[in-house]
Amino acid sequence: MSEEIKVSKTMDLKGLPCPQPVIKVSKGIKEIEVGQVLEAVTTDPGALSDFPAWARTSGNEILKTDQESGLVRFYIRRVK
Amino acid sequence: MEKEKKEKLLDLFRSKMDRAMRYYLDVCTRCGICKDACFAYASVPKIEYTPVWRAEVLRKIYKRYFKWTGKLFPSWGESMEIDDDAMKQLYDAAYTCTGCRRCMVYCPFGIDTQAIQSVAKLLLIGDESAPEELSMLADASIEKGKHLELYKESFVQAIKNLEKDVVSKWKGESDQIIPLDVEGANILYVALAGAHSIVPTASILNAARENWTLSFFEAVNFGAFVGDPRKTQLIAKRIIDEAIRLKVKEVTICECGTAYRVMKHLVGEQPFQVSHIAEVMARYLKEGRIRVEKDRTKELITYHDPCQSGRNGGVIEEPRYVLHQLTSNFVEMTPNKEHNLCCGGGGGLVALENEAFRKETGKAKVNQIKETEAAIVATGCENCHTQLKFLGDTYKMEVKVEFLTNMVANALILES
Repeated sequence: MSEEIKVSKTMDLKGLPCPQPVIKVSKGIKEIEVGQVLEAVTTDPGALSDFPAWARTSGNEILKTDQESGLVRFYIRRVK
Repeated sequence: MEKEKKEKLLDLFRSKMDRAMRYYLDVCTRCGICKDACFAYASVPKIEYTPVWRAEVLRKIYKRYFKWTGKLFPSWGESMEIDDDAMKQLYDAAYTCTGCRRCMVYCPFGIDTQAIQSVAKLLLIGDESAPEELSMLADASIEKGKHLELYKESFVQAIKNLEKDVVSKWKGESDQIIPLDVEGANILYVALAGAHSIVPTASILNAARENWTLSFFEAVNFGAFVGDPRKTQLIAKRIIDEAIRLKVKEVTICECGTAYRVMKHLVGEQPFQVSHIAEVMARYLKEGRIRVEKDRTKELITYHDPCQSGRNGGVIEEPRYVLHQLTSNFVEMTPNKEHNLCCGGGGGLVALENEAFRKETGKAKVNQIKETEAAIVATGCENCHTQLKFLGDTYKMEVKVEFLTNMVANALILES
């Protein structure tokens, strides 16, 4: 978990093919309060561009993206 | 339902009322031949799973508002008001249909159920009751097209991360591994977001010494799945504009049936050819541009024809040609080719939360696969692959589901 960001919910999306990670995150973010942060971990390489596009259209905010040995970790703040 | 909304929905309905649609809505005699063609009804014989029942929901609304009998005597006959209950029925009809068009092959009048359900889907969009997931995914795709500059860097990074996997499959030397933005390339390859859709094909294209470039955009068209003509065109336009900008000769669509059909048949004439990756692989094999090790896999292999690239797209013999280069141990499903049964995953259904439906309506496909006694089911569509894998896991079938590209890439004989 990130030291700077307080995570309210973590979703393990490893191994799920596109578009499942984005679908699951779009549902998962509704389960946290506005202002809280969702951490999503995926192995889908397309997520690097899919998640930012989804965040922009859904009005949420990606605070940080980490990459480590095939994993992509997003920290997403629910804005509305 | 408010009068204003009703009017809006009727305007949408009117916008789809061309000559073909009037014909589809007028001529059905309810002979019922279509019922046995539907994969869902073949699995679970419920009236709701027949193409004719699904069409009747829309047909009743048509009778109420577009036929003089319904206009003058709305309570007569089988007409139906547009109201919330009608919208629910339309949802059930549209999202239990994969748009596989097998019923159309058997219908004596050639009624296109997919076209009828596209009207139902458009009305659901107008009612704001279309599946949120599909609309959201379509919007994200359009957003990437509008502001590519915001996503380009992260996409390039994602592709860079995959290059080592391509090199490990394709051991040749080249200054290109996964080329991007190559002006004048012969082929613009349009993949899906996952590595499985990029790495094997990159290996094949490189082994063929093709002058190719990877699209910045994913092939899948969620606008088509949700039945929104405007979004369908906007999503396709991103790829068309990229192909025109790069002056490519051919746009090759990955193993995604709907993406292939949209680009091949639904975007008008373009200054490039459109091909499915199975067609390109067959061409390379015929021309000797790539070679594969035959019978590298000894197990019995069958092939599932994806409805959109097969029955509706005409890519039927090429996958078989490829498979016959890979194996001497091939068995057809029965029925097959343009008569093949839908797996139940198309039309965007695999992206929705409907596992119980997909499980029960997949029974006919499960039986079809079991009868082949094959250990491997090859296919050329992402939706089919996902659904077949789901059925394999759910029904504990001892079969492996494989993409054609992966099988070819694994069997490539590379120059030393």
